[in-house]
Amino acid sequence: MKTENTASESFKEFKGSFSYGSRSDLNFKFLAGLSDEEAAKFFQDLLWKLGDSFNDGKFDRLVDHVYEWQIRAYSGEGKWVYDEGAFTPLRKPVAESRLVLLTSSGHFVEGDDPEPFGVKNMTQKEAMARIGEFVKTEPALSVISINTPREKLRVRHGGYDIRGAQADPNVAFPLERLLELNQEGIIAELAPEAYSFVGACAQTPLLKHTAPQWVKMLQQQPVDAAILVPV
Amino acid sequence: MGHVARLLEEAGIPTVIIAIRAFRRRLEMMTPPRALITPHLMGRPLGAPGDHERQRATILAALDLLESAKQAGTIVDLPGQYRPSQNLKSR
Repeated sequence: MKTENTASESFKEFKGSFSYGSRSDLNFKFLAGLSDEEAAKFFQDLLWKLGDSFNDGKFDRLVDHVYEWQIRAYSGEGKWVYDEGAFTPLRKPVAESRLVLLTSSGHFVEGDDPEPFGVKNMTQKEAMARIGEFVKTEPALSVISINTPREKLRVRHGGYDIRGAQADPNVAFPLERLLELNQEGIIAELAPEAYSFVGACAQTPLLKHTAPQWVKMLQQQPVDAAILVPV
Repeated sequence: MGHVARLLEEAGIPTVIIAIRAFRRRLEMMTPPRALITPHLMGRPLGAPGDHERQRATILAALDLLESAKQAGTIVDLPGQYRPSQNLKSR
């Protein structure tokens, strides 16, 4: 851990500190990947826009600014490239289908903590500190009954700022919205269990070992379609 | 999640992915079966906390895509913007 406000801290160290460093802030961890010029531009424009907001009280421009820079920071190519993929047409309309929800938001039910690395009641802070271990480990699937009351839902994920999902699980785990659509008949049926895992995990074991098991389980239920939310 | 989607489709289960715009490029390169791209912030792919209307509209757009897509790699952008909601009640 670097100490804050050391006189000798370089700009590179400063911007890097937002990504799992002394100023870790998962909304802004992308700063570490920007060039010095880009990161300087991000801060300069942020402060300029903030000055405008002092005058008109409108802060949406700050949201838009961060949104644009998140896109810019993640515009690089990924590791996994496929030119084609399997496709299964929906066999019947959604209004006659049974849907399942699966997210990588890291939600689980109180009392059924996946206890990563055997740690009981791991805090979000510890999950962030151990992100390097998470990304090397196969994910555990949390089973979440669709009848789970909202106040029993917990979330922990060392890869993103969970405060939005804590304030309202539906931002990443939209169970309540799906239940409403089910009640209205727009969705015929929801599978009795929804699922979540921590998406910051070992990708090759996920592809070769973990996910195929999940697929088998869903085939056996069965379900007509899956709604997938990466976070 | 791109991998999970691909495996599910191979096994005969249709999928729709709901992902933020920042993930678009990486997702595109995986030729996902169906993806709805939302103009939302990281960690909040369905919209802002308390913004029920936006969350609902996002899911409805995903359900439309589930029904309408004809081939793998169908990627649709949800219009609109991420806006914080006044409806958020502290727990």
